[in-house]
Amino acid sequence: MTGWHLDDDMLRRYAGRTDSLAEGASAEQHLLSCERCRARVSAAVTAAGGGIDLAAVWDRTRDAVEVPRPSVFERLLRGAGLPAHEARLVAVASAFRGVWLTGVAVVLAFAALAAAIGHARGEWLFLAVAPVVPCLVVAAGYDPWMDPALEPELVTPYPALRLVLLRTIAVLALALPAVLLFGLVVPGETAFAWLLPAVGFVAVVLAASTWFSPLRSAIAVSSAWLAVIWLLAARSGSPDAVLQARAQAGFLALAAASFSVFVLRRRRLRRLRPWR
Amino acid sequence: MVTASISLRDVGRTFGATRALAGVDLDLGPGVTGLLGPNGAGKTTLLRLLATALPPSQGKVRVLGLDPEVPAERTGIRRRLGYQPQEAGFPRGFTAFAFVDYIALLKEQSQPAARHAEVRRVLDLTGLSDLGAKRIRAMSGGQRRRVSLAQALLGSPPVLILDEPTTGVDPEQRVTLRTVLAELARTSIVVLSTHQTEDVAALCERVIVLDRGRVRYDGPVTDLTGQAAGRVWLADAPDPAASISWRTGTGRYRNVGTRARDGAEHAEPSLEDAYLLLLRGGSPEPETTQEVTS
Repeated sequence: MTGWHLDDDMLRRYAGRTDSLAEGASAEQHLLSCERCRARVSAAVTAAGGGIDLAAVWDRTRDAVEVPRPSVFERLLRGAGLPAHEARLVAVASAFRGVWLTGVAVVLAFAALAAAIGHARGEWLFLAVAPVVPCLVVAAGYDPWMDPALEPELVTPYPALRLVLLRTIAVLALALPAVLLFGLVVPGETAFAWLLPAVGFVAVVLAASTWFSPLRSAIAVSSAWLAVIWLLAARSGSPDAVLQARAQAGFLALAAASFSVFVLRRRRLRRLRPWR
Repeated sequence: MVTASISLRDVGRTFGATRALAGVDLDLGPGVTGLLGPNGAGKTTLLRLLATALPPSQGKVRVLGLDPEVPAERTGIRRRLGYQPQEAGFPRGFTAFAFVDYIALLKEQSQPAARHAEVRRVLDLTGLSDLGAKRIRAMSGGQRRRVSLAQALLGSPPVLILDEPTTGVDPEQRVTLRTVLAELARTSIVVLSTHQTEDVAALCERVIVLDRGRVRYDGPVTDLTGQAAGRVWLADAPDPAASISWRTGTGRYRNVGTRARDGAEHAEPSLEDAYLLLLRGGSPEPETTQEVTS
């Protein structure tokens, strides 16, 4: 910004389009950063009978240049019925800018590896990884460690609970079908067996986030699951124990109980909202 | 009834065994209040308390008459608050416009046309009108600082908390930002921390000096500067009697201390002199009255 402005003669020539190419380019360069001269040009054009609202034209031009275009993911969310501003809030989470893709890629790699290894060992491998990916990605969707802009975000009036749930639902809506699709290449019946554990672990992470950081909670849950799978695999040749109806009902109960805890303790999202 | 003030009563904050703030009593009203203090003095902790980013370990905070410990009132404070943190982090890949627009969404500005107009307004105020489409990671440190300030100015909030707003900003832009903040401070409470005493001298009516978590001075800027009258003198060499001395651009030494030598060539004190004198253990009032000669 400088102290220089369009003088009256230059302004008249510019508004009347009688300026030279070089003078016009110079004026336009200045107008880009000078609201005062833009208003003067607008007034001069209007006075000359031009009747164009240059301020409105300028705003539309800036909108075209500056307003970010919605990503494919954001358009999908809008298509699913989410209001435009909430679709934007979900889509800007860092989880959807790499972490989600990485998570799905990991599952894909493990699915391919499982298919290559063969029946029982392949199933164990896939079962160890697939259920924990959604909870890790959900945690990354609102963990302060993953979010460099946390400070200004956390002192806004937008409800933390709503933001967390929106991002969680978005992760599940995208991650579950994708991982399910990849699971189809895995031999045996584990293609669907991981679904309820995955939902249960997401709920546990949400509940645990009222005590600890989301990412730490997700890492703890994932580690515990890996330990359980390792023990089961050591004792049994096939993952039938996980596939049994009782075990699946247990995961469903875990999800319901954890989600209830999360809702009851929603004001204690410690790392997102440190006030208690 | 919401009152345009902030009050702190016996406020303290600890982090583990570390005491960041202790026994702070303050009342803040419209205008610009500057926070000065060395690194680790508790400035950022105090600002984070005011911005509802951090609860106090003890004492009571009231912002605009609202209690931040009550969830509904805390949300009420956040609706009237602009906050620029010390560490300006930005999500990867964001442009300046996209980031400020994102914060505007979190500030419940959901109507796109009005929100975009507001984003453009604050980008213009901070001298970023032609940088809205530029990626933040490609910006200089000073430009990033201005993006961070722009999001704080959204909605012209009645309470503006700024942690080192002018760090890394070039002199011309600093003058522009001072003008913006002075205009806003006609009706808003602006609290800013800085290491730039010239910003405080140019902008603030009131200054608070923090040292090791406690308020060492709270009052008008002119009064603090006045406390250094007769305690700043020039010499051809560092004076052992001074608390602090440094070589100036003229080649002479500027000495600041509680007691000048007889016959010393006195200099007009600046806010920086008074601040240094305060922190180096100078008494609040001059022990002897000496005439300022320059």
